[in-house]
Amino acid sequence: MDNINTKEYSPESPSMKSRLSWLWSEYSVIIAFIIIFIAASVMNPRFLDINNQLNILMQVSIIGIIALGMTVVMLSGGIDLSVGSVLALAGVISVLALNASGSILIGVFTALLIGAFAGFLNGLMVAKGRIASFIATLGMMAAARSIALYIAEGGSVSGEVSGFTAIANNNVWIFDLPVLIFFAMAVLIYIVMHKTRFGRYVYALGSNEKAAMLSAIRVDRIKIGVYTLIGTLVGVAAVIETSRLNSISSSSSGAQYELDAIAAVIIGGTRMTGGRGKIIGTIFGILILGILNNMMNLMNVSPHLQGFVKGLIIIIAVVFQKRE
Amino acid sequence: MTSQPFVAMNQIDKSFNGVPVLKKVTLEVEKGEIHALLGENGAGKSTLMNILGGVHQPDSGEICIEGKQVNMANPHISQAHGISFIHQELNMVGDLKVYENMFLGSEIRNKAGFLNVEEMCRQTREILAELGVFLNPKEYVRNLATSYKQLIEISKALLHKSQLIIMDEPTTSLAEHEVGRLFELMRNLKKSGVSIIYISHKLKEIQAICDRYTVLRDGQLVKTDDMQSGNLEEITKLMVGKAISQERFVHEHEFGELALEVERLSSPGLFKEIDFTVRKGQIVGFTGLAGDGRTELFESLFGYRKKYTGTIKVKGKAMKITHPRTALQAGMGYVPKDRKENAIIKDLSVVHNMSLSSMGNFERLGFIQDKRELEKFSSYKKALNIKVANPRITIDKLSGGNQQKVIIAKWLEADTDILIFDNPTQGIDVGAKQEIYQEILELAKLGKAIIILSSEAPEVLRICHVINVMYHGEITARFMGDETDEEEIMHYATGAKREGEHIG
Repeated sequence: MDNINTKEYSPESPSMKSRLSWLWSEYSVIIAFIIIFIAASVMNPRFLDINNQLNILMQVSIIGIIALGMTVVMLSGGIDLSVGSVLALAGVISVLALNASGSILIGVFTALLIGAFAGFLNGLMVAKGRIASFIATLGMMAAARSIALYIAEGGSVSGEVSGFTAIANNNVWIFDLPVLIFFAMAVLIYIVMHKTRFGRYVYALGSNEKAAMLSAIRVDRIKIGVYTLIGTLVGVAAVIETSRLNSISSSSSGAQYELDAIAAVIIGGTRMTGGRGKIIGTIFGILILGILNNMMNLMNVSPHLQGFVKGLIIIIAVVFQKRE
Repeated sequence: MTSQPFVAMNQIDKSFNGVPVLKKVTLEVEKGEIHALLGENGAGKSTLMNILGGVHQPDSGEICIEGKQVNMANPHISQAHGISFIHQELNMVGDLKVYENMFLGSEIRNKAGFLNVEEMCRQTREILAELGVFLNPKEYVRNLATSYKQLIEISKALLHKSQLIIMDEPTTSLAEHEVGRLFELMRNLKKSGVSIIYISHKLKEIQAICDRYTVLRDGQLVKTDDMQSGNLEEITKLMVGKAISQERFVHEHEFGELALEVERLSSPGLFKEIDFTVRKGQIVGFTGLAGDGRTELFESLFGYRKKYTGTIKVKGKAMKITHPRTALQAGMGYVPKDRKENAIIKDLSVVHNMSLSSMGNFERLGFIQDKRELEKFSSYKKALNIKVANPRITIDKLSGGNQQKVIIAKWLEADTDILIFDNPTQGIDVGAKQEIYQEILELAKLGKAIIILSSEAPEVLRICHVINVMYHGEITARFMGDETDEEEIMHYATGAKREGEHIG
């Protein structure tokens, strides 16, 4: 992230008001996070308990990894609705591969490969087939779920290789491994987006596709790359999801993950039409969602009402962003 | 002149974030007068007009309409006083039909409350005919060329029976005969008592049509005077604060070898049988009216459009150009027209726009080196005189001229030998225009092959060695730059005359 210099817009002595509005527009999601965090700590003393904090991190790690990919897709001006279904498909096939080979490595690689391949197909449809990303990934969403159901005959498949569950259930120091994987992926995607030409091209393409193409950027390849990247991240998420309970359900695993991931990206301040947004925003977006879920659980809010609160937060976030 | 002007803006002050944009500006427009508002980009013209249009509120000063003070709190109040604003940017809905755009928000309904389509079409046809445009009112706007969209925008203002029309650069995408029609219409409006405030960078047009002028510079009123008593050079001097010549640039350098040869390039419906060559150091111009196919021709040559036949040879080697990337690899760079839509990436910073086509120059082990980008940018900043204090701000905060310089820097950094400029000075003020011409000339001297597409004949006349005139997708004439004039070019551009090859 570049620290945008305030000197440019404001004269010698910027007024307090303009400085505040700049701070708000740049870091509104972080400010919102802090407010919600403080509110949560006041409302329920158990919230600040270290185990609860680590629990929140653990709970957001899977959606968090997907949301990182979703940020990249949305920065490019697209959307990916297929992440939940592809997660189930990659999970189912990887468990089968795991059981057949007895090798954890092969299981993991299968998940990544299936995810990447599904993403690649999405990319082909969007870039070469010129299908709107919403439609292309909607098709993939239905198709991937259907194949997963067919393979698993509508039920769940369980791992039969000991040690596979260690991926999601081991700790390093106090952190669960999935949390560390999430952090590692976040750092990786941050670097890709801000330090490599791929990231630069994604921003350019999302902001102005024609100008990007006329700047001699291979727009098609970048788009395919973007969807393959999110597919691979979904593969990573599938490994964690499967390893956590040593099984994956073809019907319910990953259901509505796309909504949570998109919500995190939107709360994080990424523009729906692409070109503007930050990885760091998405991270705070997912943390806000995690804290809200956690708070509602601690306060015994009916799980049926939790979706309502989430929906409200998304709309409020967008309303605030509109003000710029 | 009557003692009471139609609109009087007195002692207007306005500042944004503490930066003064207008300082005690006074503007008076009489009834039935065409008043030119002049100044470079950033002089405060748009702000002043936005205040008149009710978009911005002045910090101090007053606005009087027919002697009565009016508080222009919002655009509706302004409209209610008969002021309409034709913006430089087109506000058209592409997916609606021509008549639907014309009547957007003020649809005519019949007694039953349904839309009266026939009446709206009839009025649309009538008003467009006054501008000499014959369009099917039921055509979708997205299918129309930009110049038609602009004419529709103008017609929209006429529809509302305005007392005062503000025109912000209405002729940027109009061909010359369309401009002529617009002027005729403006004269008619004037006769019927409508006042017009005309903002333009094209001084010749202003001289042809305006009664009085007001020059702003750095937010201050420099001069208001009758058009007759000033000459163009003097007005230019007032605008930029120094004299600028309109003379043809003198070229004193040798051409090198052939850089680009194009043979029998055709694309159905867009252009056909195009032949031309460009040598290193040569500046070749293409001009014509809207719809002559020159932009499509060079978009094809640059690989943006793929459906074409014919051969393209770069430095003697036949190339198949299927993507802008292959064009770049062949050594071509393209500065497109309509900068906002085609050239700048508005969410990227100035530096990042500069480096976009040559990322390889700034990478080490696959990672972008910010420092190297910044260093490179400051060298271009100096060389091209790009005015920006902090290169990390997004490019859309720069003026048009400075944006264009950044785009030029982008192609220089990509090390291209052939540079194609499409309407290079579109929406750029006089001072910066001069700098862009100077820069193009410098590049030619360095041995780059230059192609300039322009809708303005005077522009190609000023700087090109060879001028191609296009009409309906064909090259109808070819002249040496110093052996022709605007009138002759117009003959060929309008299709009044045609000749296969004409080299002076």
